[in-house]
Amino acid sequence: MTDQTSPARTPQRLDEVITGGIGTSPLRPDGTLKVRGEFAYSSDLWADGMLWGATLRSPHPYARILSVDTGPALAHPGVSAVLTHQDVPGENIYGLKTADTPALAEDVVRYKGEPVALVAADHPETARRALEKIVVAYEVLEPVTDPERAAHDDTLPALHPGGNVVRYQPIVQGDPDAVADVVVSDVYTLGMQDQAFLGPESGLAIPDEDGGVDLFLATQWLHVDQRQTARALGLPLEKVRFTMSGVGGAFGGREDLSMQIHCCMLALHTGRPVKMVYGREESFYGHVHRHPAKMYYEHGATKDGKLVYIKARMYFDGGAYASKTPVVVSNATSLGTGPYEVPNVRIEGWGLYTNNPPCGAMRGLGAVQPAYAYESQMDKLAKALDMDPVLLRQINAVSEGSTLHTGQVLDSPAPVAELLERLKRLPMPLENRTAPADVRDLPGGISNTTHGEGVVRGVGYSVIIKNVSYAEGADDYSTARVRLEVIGGEPVAMVHTAAAEVGQGLVTVQQQIARTELAVERVNIHPNDTNVGDAGSSSASRQTYVTGGAVKNACEAVRDVLFAKAARRFGERPADLSLVGGKVVSSTTGVIADIADVLGDDVIEETREYHHLRTYELDPVTGQSPRVHVQHAYSAHRAVVDVDTELGLVKVVRLDCAQDVGKAVNPDAVVAQIQGGSTQGLGLAVMEEIQVEGGHIRNPSFTDYLIPTIMDTPPMTIDVIERADPNSPYGVRGVGEPPTISATPAIVNAIRNATGLDLTHTPVGPEHICGPAFARA
Amino acid sequence: MRAFEYAAARTPADAFARTTPRTAYLAGGTTLVDLMKLGVVEPDAVIDINGLGLRGIRLDRDGLRVGALERMSDVAEHPVVAAEFPVVAQALQASASPQIRNMASIGGNLLQRTRCGYFRDVATACNKRQPGSGCPAQTGANRGHAVFGTSASCVATHASDLAVALVALDARVELAGPAGRREVPLADFYRLPGDSPQVENDLRPGELVTAVAVPRLAFARRSTYLKVRDRQSYEFALVSVAAALDVRNGTVRDVRLAVGGVGTRPWRLPLAEQALRGKRLTEATARQAVEAGTADARPLAFNAFKPALLRRTAVRTLLALGG
Repeated sequence: MTDQTSPARTPQRLDEVITGGIGTSPLRPDGTLKVRGEFAYSSDLWADGMLWGATLRSPHPYARILSVDTGPALAHPGVSAVLTHQDVPGENIYGLKTADTPALAEDVVRYKGEPVALVAADHPETARRALEKIVVAYEVLEPVTDPERAAHDDTLPALHPGGNVVRYQPIVQGDPDAVADVVVSDVYTLGMQDQAFLGPESGLAIPDEDGGVDLFLATQWLHVDQRQTARALGLPLEKVRFTMSGVGGAFGGREDLSMQIHCCMLALHTGRPVKMVYGREESFYGHVHRHPAKMYYEHGATKDGKLVYIKARMYFDGGAYASKTPVVVSNATSLGTGPYEVPNVRIEGWGLYTNNPPCGAMRGLGAVQPAYAYESQMDKLAKALDMDPVLLRQINAVSEGSTLHTGQVLDSPAPVAELLERLKRLPMPLENRTAPADVRDLPGGISNTTHGEGVVRGVGYSVIIKNVSYAEGADDYSTARVRLEVIGGEPVAMVHTAAAEVGQGLVTVQQQIARTELAVERVNIHPNDTNVGDAGSSSASRQTYVTGGAVKNACEAVRDVLFAKAARRFGERPADLSLVGGKVVSSTTGVIADIADVLGDDVIEETREYHHLRTYELDPVTGQSPRVHVQHAYSAHRAVVDVDTELGLVKVVRLDCAQDVGKAVNPDAVVAQIQGGSTQGLGLAVMEEIQVEGGHIRNPSFTDYLIPTIMDTPPMTIDVIERADPNSPYGVRGVGEPPTISATPAIVNAIRNATGLDLTHTPVGPEHICGPAFARA
Repeated sequence: MRAFEYAAARTPADAFARTTPRTAYLAGGTTLVDLMKLGVVEPDAVIDINGLGLRGIRLDRDGLRVGALERMSDVAEHPVVAAEFPVVAQALQASASPQIRNMASIGGNLLQRTRCGYFRDVATACNKRQPGSGCPAQTGANRGHAVFGTSASCVATHASDLAVALVALDARVELAGPAGRREVPLADFYRLPGDSPQVENDLRPGELVTAVAVPRLAFARRSTYLKVRDRQSYEFALVSVAAALDVRNGTVRDVRLAVGGVGTRPWRLPLAEQALRGKRLTEATARQAVEAGTADARPLAFNAFKPALLRRTAVRTLLALGG
């Protein structure tokens, strides 16, 4: 790193003294800066003398590249470099699960927006103008856009050498030909959802004299970015060092690479720091989205409402590259019955390559889509049985000891029926139909469309199951380094991990754990970087579990060293010692010393990993696995809606949630996660959909891609229950994803309850609510 | 963004002297700057007219007069506008976001360009942006597009809520240009796309909108704006209805009805108005009138729901006003 640069470090003010151990809700160390607008996000990164990078992207969903002429762009004043695939120093291929994605396209582009060339220039506008001077000759090809066809039609062009099926997974349990008294079926579709994080993709790469590069960036997983980037750069890992900068939201959208390889290539090529920042439109093309799905479901039940069988076929559009598609297929199939005991199951899932925008990780990965379908089916079944939909769910609910259709036995609490019961007992909101109603509480709100005319209330429930942490045999672990020393006369702990704070409050949780385990007040969080071991991704609702476990383990190791010192000095047995309020306490002789006195000038530093229990792959033919997932989480929603049945507008009046979190390490953060997740699920229920037409995104802006505003967001009662998982640190159960999954079907079920409509597509718009009536008119 | 010159005009004459076919006037900038960033509009020079005055919200014997540079939020919150012309205040309040309403001018609002995704995407064809290049919206993603006034060249809606309210009230726009001043009814100011959708209005080279005049209309006090949209705030209309009603003893003496989100320009429904005059206002007469006034709707593949949604919204609006 050269002197004239002042690279950003993790821009968090983490030295404020905030107290509070686990089970309390201390202030976020980064909260004050964020609220004041002073927090430095990755787009704020700066180095003196830096260049600006920009990306030339394919305008076509599918085309052959005939030639690329970079000459005119390179001749443009202010341009320092123009790079193509020929300049990729290492292997021009990367991917989270399957290495199938070129850093820069070679002879073919497979989606609109695929990176083709890079420019570095002295100003972002210069860089963009230079992009326009790169001459690419394309032979435009007919794109593959229908995923269901891609699964079965061999006459379509194969977009990748192995064909268009990324993964096919069946799961068969019991008798696949079982018959039942009552049968309901339908075909459900779910639109493409965007993570809609606010901080666009951005990073700053700084070349080092040793031939390596430092990249400061916003990501969900430093080490997997580092590994993929190093491979493309042809450098050993130690020469590709990544440091976390401020992350402006993620929700899965930062799990795949965006500018990482590109920014490093430009920095290494020019020998200058290079910054890249996407605009909003570019961001829509520069990150993966939630897989749209088409799902055929059939449920059979006895006339008493016991589920006899579920048959399902699901198609997931992975777009041009695999990303997390294999995991979407395994999650969707292994969780595709919902949290119900079903003796006979046949579920098949396909993840496909098409020329649509690539799809990958998003909150609720692979569980959102089937949950919308199976919870729609449960309401449809209840209607066919003339049965209370909550009761139908409860009599079929799994509980601890139940066997799922994969053969996995649930080895920890599964209070599914209880979650529903708690919601059912919550008071109902009053109906807002007595004049003069406040229009803000009615469908259309301030748009003034109704004062009660046409408004019908509906209530809907849902309950869902989601896996927590990585599955299918992945060695899922995290690493923490904890250092204890005396600073200014008081003991101070420093926690160093690579785990990404993406807004969820992980920095707070790590501090809480260290305070609890080490009985010190001051806990600093070291900037996240690749100088410490892998933490895995901030995804799959796993960081409090896995990184929390690593911090706990490292703290315990530090404590053991401290106890050994104290025992030697004071003639105590280490096993008798504990830490309370900054002091070492003996169970036989009471307080023996301040931690600071025991430490003196010594520094204790220990690094530990946490690995969760081993998981196993799904059998490729039967889908059976003794433990495909290490943990399951459950959440239930009750949605109350008012629907303007004439104009098709929906007001979500209340969205109440009950969720088992095992142990609420930070109760306020748990509630906030559930509120945020519920709102993201509301978006998918009534407004969020990326419109894709022939491979082109038609609404790549936050004016045209709608996410809920505060006006659309209802009051929520959040009922958090804690049934400890004996296998996880402190008994925690992942929190972040489940509410996103259960909110959507609860709202759609409530709209069905109000309208009597089938509603086989989400998000639901006026045309779906009024469409059938319009057709009659 | 393409490089451009910037100049702040001190007087109208100064502004006119600087105009060429390759210049654009800048007021609030909420449309122009956005489209410049996208490369949809690429002027050589931007002439800032914010120093020209063109302010004032006044009600006198002739009616309401609003300077073109008044901000949307100032007009929406003006007590006289809210009391005498509630449809105008409501249409403004239902527009855009508070931040945009604080920046955007009234004149700019009336001249805003369509939100059609093809118009905004320079990688696609669009007859409005690039005459003769084609109109992919005819068969493409056209859920939000128009059902009135469309042509084989263009099916984009006019995006302004305010214009719908003003057309209902027979508003006029005051224009000034190098050749002098003139006044045009707003309804005539907007052009149908025909085979030249790039020409959206009657403005002559260098001309500016200087003010909007709304004639006095006693029953405008009984007016309202209903807007059906996919989100409660910050979203364009799927359909909208502006209406003013003069009803005595249950009989309609006069009525004004205009609709938005459905037309290639703000769309008045004269046949519906005519059908209602002298009739008792009931759900049946309202429905018949609205059906008569909207019979020429021509839906596209993905907006087939719009005519029926519009009719229901219009009937709802009339009954709400008449009740």
